[in-house]
Amino acid sequence: MNLIQFMGALEIGFIYGLVAIAVLLSFRILDFPDLTVDGSLPLGAAVCAILIVSGVDPWMATGCAILAGMMAGFTTAWISVRWNILHLLASILTMTALYSINLRIMGRPNIALLGEKTIFTPLENLSSLENISYLRHYILPLATFVIAGFVLLLIYRFLSSEKGLAMRATGANSRMAKAQGIAVNRQILFGISLSNGLVALAGAIYAQYAGFADVTSGVGTIVVGLAAVIVGEAIFNPKVILMALIACILGSIFYHLAIAVALNVSFLGLQAQDLKLVTAVIVGLAMVTPKLRAKILDFKASRGQA
Amino acid sequence: MIRLTDLHVTFNRGTAMETRALRGVTLNIKKGDFVSVIGGNGAGKSTVLNALCGDVFPERGTISIDDQDVTILPSWQRAPFVARVFQDPMAGTCANLTIEENMALAMKRGRKRTFKMALNKEHREKFRSQLSRLKLGLENRLHDPIGLLSGGQRQAVSLIMAVLEPMKIIALDEHTAALDPKTAAFILDLTREIVDENQLTALMVTHSMHQALELGNRTVMLDEGRVIFDVRDEERKGLTVPDLLDLFHKKSGVELDDDSMLLS
Repeated sequence: MNLIQFMGALEIGFIYGLVAIAVLLSFRILDFPDLTVDGSLPLGAAVCAILIVSGVDPWMATGCAILAGMMAGFTTAWISVRWNILHLLASILTMTALYSINLRIMGRPNIALLGEKTIFTPLENLSSLENISYLRHYILPLATFVIAGFVLLLIYRFLSSEKGLAMRATGANSRMAKAQGIAVNRQILFGISLSNGLVALAGAIYAQYAGFADVTSGVGTIVVGLAAVIVGEAIFNPKVILMALIACILGSIFYHLAIAVALNVSFLGLQAQDLKLVTAVIVGLAMVTPKLRAKILDFKASRGQA
Repeated sequence: MIRLTDLHVTFNRGTAMETRALRGVTLNIKKGDFVSVIGGNGAGKSTVLNALCGDVFPERGTISIDDQDVTILPSWQRAPFVARVFQDPMAGTCANLTIEENMALAMKRGRKRTFKMALNKEHREKFRSQLSRLKLGLENRLHDPIGLLSGGQRQAVSLIMAVLEPMKIIALDEHTAALDPKTAAFILDLTREIVDENQLTALMVTHSMHQALELGNRTVMLDEGRVIFDVRDEERKGLTVPDLLDLFHKKSGVELDDDSMLLS
């Protein structure tokens, strides 16, 4: 793996770190497995891309993408809490509907953003100045790092607030939450909206970073997000919420590095089409590791006693 | 004044499993009353408490708290009036949140929650001084997940959490039933202390006749979804467990053979 590939993994890792935080919010904090993200990621990309090619300011377009994602999340949560439909099914409904909606928004399966003004344009202009061209390799990872870090701090601040604590109680023990006067349904509506807003933000940033929006780009988003969360938990075993958030981002980077390595090591003979298989294997390993570790510790303990 | 008027509750209505849990329970709880509710399995004592807390809705009858009708309010909207300690130590707290986070949640029971930081120095100071009365050393463990605590410790913290905010009534749902006898005695003493010093109005459901007589100023016995007797103050003083059994026999016409009530 060369420097460019390494930096590429970092950039993607930071962008998908946002997805990981979103998945942490839904899966772990609200205990609401949400597959909407497979639709809200391309939704964010679609909204952002169509607005940018129509001449809207890229920051404005990114903001609209977040709003669109929040609406998608709200739809899922509403179907689930209002009509008492299983969260997984509600999210599959929204995800399926979003595929058509994304096609409608874009009017075609993909939109190229090459040459358009994006949030990264000022950085590209800066790094194309002759004397600092080497910065190009560092400036994009740095930019994505700043975005991920900023979002992480915002979410951390929110989860430490009275409202954020109410959301955490909702997922951890909804009976207790109700007894404390927390409207758990509202918490789910807001939390799943927030989660999908983050995913749409990741979609919008990814579209501007990669230079295109594609309606199929959402396939497997949930698995990638979950992979980052689970890999992060397996490596860092976080005990407090700040560490859990940081583990999401680091887990995402680690996961993307692992993918890059796996696809680059020639003796494995893996190619780009093996990506999803490698993903499944990595997530599987990350899920088994903690159990294996516990088993080994048990085994050692029992031997120690004998 | 808390008024439960002619409550009727039926579970699984219209099925083979139909159970008439309450068949017209009326109970007026005056401010400062500490009522212990006793009864055998299926007598309806937990249903009365759940109806008061908003977990169960009566098909007939009304519930009012200080003249406000709360019959149809869901549990989260009753939180300003009702503080609750559950039977299961796991139920009253969030295991993976820290002690201080759990207390911060309880400090805002039934009040508007804002974007302000849930915890600050002042809160921690308050929590520490509240926890130190337990003499369990928990005041030094504010940052520990509450799931690391034993059942008894969690019940003790739950009691303290319940009184961080004012309430109209505290509902204690067999809150010592899941504990060993020694721990149960500790929690019972703590309950008495806390109720006394805050002059709370309390409703305690228990399966132990002994406990029912030991705490509070009023004891209500339920059988088959009805109140079969209700004794308070002077009348209740000097009553013993055999007296209660006797009363039960007279009122219901059956011998009481519920082991859990006889043995404890």
